[in-house]
Amino acid sequence: MTDLDPATRDALAELLLAVADDEFVIGFWDSEWTGIAPMLEEDVATSSIAQDEIGHARALYELLAEVTDDDADRIAYGREPDAYRHAALLNHRRGDWAFSVARRYLYETADAVRLAALAGSSHEPLAQLAAKMRREETYHRLHADAWLRRLADGPPDVRERLAQALRQLWADAQQLFTPLAGEAALVAAGILPEPMSTMHAAWTARVRPVVEPIAGPLPDAGPSAEGRSTRTDDFLWLHGEFTMVAGGAEAALW
Amino acid sequence: MSTNERIWEVFRQEDEGDPMVHAGNVNAPDEELAMHYAREFYGRRGESHRLWIVARDAVTELDDPDLLKPPFDRSHKKPGGYIIKHKLEAAKQRAASEAGE
Repeated sequence: MTDLDPATRDALAELLLAVADDEFVIGFWDSEWTGIAPMLEEDVATSSIAQDEIGHARALYELLAEVTDDDADRIAYGREPDAYRHAALLNHRRGDWAFSVARRYLYETADAVRLAALAGSSHEPLAQLAAKMRREETYHRLHADAWLRRLADGPPDVRERLAQALRQLWADAQQLFTPLAGEAALVAAGILPEPMSTMHAAWTARVRPVVEPIAGPLPDAGPSAEGRSTRTDDFLWLHGEFTMVAGGAEAALW
Repeated sequence: MSTNERIWEVFRQEDEGDPMVHAGNVNAPDEELAMHYAREFYGRRGESHRLWIVARDAVTELDDPDLLKPPFDRSHKKPGGYIIKHKLEAAKQRAASEAGE
C-alpha cells in the first residue's frame, strides 16, 4: 500500500478493523445458537449465517493485514479485549431468541447501508470485497427481517420480548456509525464515499418506521465518540472463548 | 415455534435445462422461512441452480394401486411388449441387398 500516505493508510486500517470486528463478533455471538435454535432448520440457517459473518471478517482482516503488513490470524485472535473495535451493539451476550433477532435486524440494516457506501470506495480491493459481501448480506437481511415481522406478529409476550430488546439495544446500535478518528482523510480520498453521519441518517430514516410501531417511540440517540471502544464483561467472556484454541496452541499450523 | 410448522417439499435443478429433482423437505412455519431453509439445506454449497419449494399439502397425491398397477396384462403398453428384433434384422438384410444391386 505504498500509494497511500501514512495518515490515510492508518485511517483505512481503522475503518477495516471496525467493520471486520463487527462481523467477527456478531458471527461468534450468533454461533452460540448452534444446537439450541428454536428448530432444526433455524439452527442450520443461524449457524450458516454466523459462519458467513466470520468469513466476511476473515476477508476484511486479510485486507487489513495487507495494508498494515500484519497477519490476519494475529489480528483476529492475538489482541487483548480492549483492542477490539466492534460497536457497542455487539457488547451484549446472546440473550434469548427475541434479543438475537432484534440485534440481527438492527445490525443487518446498518450493515446494508455501510456496504452500499463501501461498494463505491476508491480503494479498489475494499470496493470489490464490499460488493461481494453484499450478495450474501442481502439474504442475511431478508432472514432477519422475516424473523422480526414474525415475532412482532406473534403472541403478546413474544412481541413484548422483541420490543424490550429493541429498546435496550437502540442506543448501542447507533454506535455502528461512530465517527472514525481518520474519517476526514478517508472521505477526502473517496475511500469512505460518505461520512458516517450521512450513513447514520439514512439508516435511521429506514429503520425507525419499522422499529417504533413495535418498540414504541425511541429516543433521539446518536453515535458517541466511545461507541467502538467500550468493552463489557459479556465481551470479555466471549473473547476468552474465541481465543481459547489459538491461545492454547500458539503458532500451530492448521 | 413447533405448533404451526408445515412441511415443504424441495426440488432442485443443478444446471439450467436439467430436470427438477426431488431433494428432500424442510419444516417451516411459512413460505418465507421455507425459502430460507431450503436455501440453507439444498443450496448453500452452490450445488443448485434453482429450487422449487412446494407446500406438501399443495401436492396432489395418487397412489391407488387399481390405477397405478392395473391387474390385467399391460405388456403391450411397454416398449418391451413388441419383439422387433427379427423384423429389424430382416429389414437390415433387405437394405443391404438393395444397396448391393
